[in-house]
Amino acid sequence: MNNIMIGRFIPGDSWVHRLDPRTKMIATFIYILVMLWSNSWQTYAWSAAFLILLIKLTQQPFSLYWSGLKPIFWLILFTVFLQILFTPGEPVLFKAGPIIVTLPGIINAGYVIVRFVLIILMSTILTLTTPPTSIANALESLLGPLKKLRVPVAELALMLSIALRFVPLLMDETQKIMNAQKSRGMSFSNGGPIKRAKAIIPLLIPLFVGALQRALDLANAMEVRGFKDATQRTKYRILHYQQVDRIAFLGLGSFVAIFFVIKFIFHI
Amino acid sequence: MIEAIKINNLKYSYQGSQQLFDDFNLTIQVGQWVALVGHNGSGKSTLAKLILGLIVANSGDIDVFGERLSVATVNHVRAQIGMVFQNPDNQFVGATVADDVAFGLENMQKPSSEMPKLIDEALEIVGMQAFKNREPHMLSGGQKQRVALASVLALNPKIIILDEATAMLDPEGRDMVMQTLQKLKARFGSELTLITITHDMDEASLADRVVVINDGKLILDGEPATVFSERDIMHSNGLELPFAGELLAKLDKRPNSYLDERELVQWLSHLKK
Repeated sequence: MNNIMIGRFIPGDSWVHRLDPRTKMIATFIYILVMLWSNSWQTYAWSAAFLILLIKLTQQPFSLYWSGLKPIFWLILFTVFLQILFTPGEPVLFKAGPIIVTLPGIINAGYVIVRFVLIILMSTILTLTTPPTSIANALESLLGPLKKLRVPVAELALMLSIALRFVPLLMDETQKIMNAQKSRGMSFSNGGPIKRAKAIIPLLIPLFVGALQRALDLANAMEVRGFKDATQRTKYRILHYQQVDRIAFLGLGSFVAIFFVIKFIFHI
Repeated sequence: MIEAIKINNLKYSYQGSQQLFDDFNLTIQVGQWVALVGHNGSGKSTLAKLILGLIVANSGDIDVFGERLSVATVNHVRAQIGMVFQNPDNQFVGATVADDVAFGLENMQKPSSEMPKLIDEALEIVGMQAFKNREPHMLSGGQKQRVALASVLALNPKIIILDEATAMLDPEGRDMVMQTLQKLKARFGSELTLITITHDMDEASLADRVVVINDGKLILDGEPATVFSERDIMHSNGLELPFAGELLAKLDKRPNSYLDERELVQWLSHLKK
């Protein structure tokens, strides 16, 4: 299962790769936040243009990002469906009993698609250009103040990086178990929803057992290599806030500023 | 002279099951390459876990370089022993090869500035420096095990234990790992004590000394040639001989002593003349 993009990192030496992971994280967060204010096609167009520029800067092919969108296709479809069915307003385009489709509903649905796609693409840029260890380090650094409240930030960050590291492995294992069961006549795609849900149980049990075994093995391997606790460690990848990061924040600032200017001009 | 590992009157049983080790004794000299062999469930992997303090013996002593293993010394003892486990995926902690080698260094609280050099050196020894920025799923099993070996080497251990490290590999991966081990032994000589736990006899035949255990008891102990001449004892303990050994036993006219594969080929080609 090589098409799963969650947490997948592609090594590279682009300008985006070289950014401090904290910069990328904050930028992603701000971008997502700004998206929630977007409510006209002009602001969406501007956000999309900015995103395409970023994708170009990562020097990775668009197809890679496209495959990152596939897993959430059904989620998008579901939300679109809700938008179309439950947005009130005028003019009404179609009416059949309790089902009312309005023009604002269609427009909102379109916005939702764009918003979803942009948010997912932005997060994909972060995970694609940042090794999981660096994401974890960035999180640890950004959440640092919480240590004073006795939140085990270092432990959480290490857990996150190990979890991300095991995602592709567990995907592989799922595929193997599915193939093994298919070869013995199990079907995962036929029958009603209840029958399909039942087919998942014999898949989940071996997967869980395998994951627990891995966890035990990994714990041994970590202990043998001198792991005591997550706080008493030095770091191989040190975070450097540099010139590129200042430029990145400048770019982000201009994006946000122009975004609100557009929003104000086309005030809706 | 201090022994690398000295095990005295070791007793151990898994909870609720019968005694696995009962008064077990074993001494391993500094710089030796010892192959610990036995069939599944013979206790050989348990022994490795006991030496590292991952599980605790019921009674008896384990000394590592003269230091008695206890709650107080376990971290110091572990710092001198490196271990490579069976499953290549379940011991790969980092997101990339370099990150994985760095994991142990981070635990030892080495300064960040020294890490790149130490990582490069360790990867160079196992011939994996070209893969430094690769992710684990882009590597073969043999390559992952060599990275695991590099991760261990970066910490400068005096003892390396390989617990069935080649059992899940294809023949090519197995050869790669065994070649790397021979290179290590040639490079570090008597500074490195090597313990390979295995049930592959061709692998065991590379060691200086073979120790056969079964049901927690020491069955045979000696040089490969000596141990492999005890075909009946090996078989009754569920073990085969290396290919050369099995072949030797089937010959009508055979040499007086045990021969390894190369020696046997020579001996056989002399027969023809």
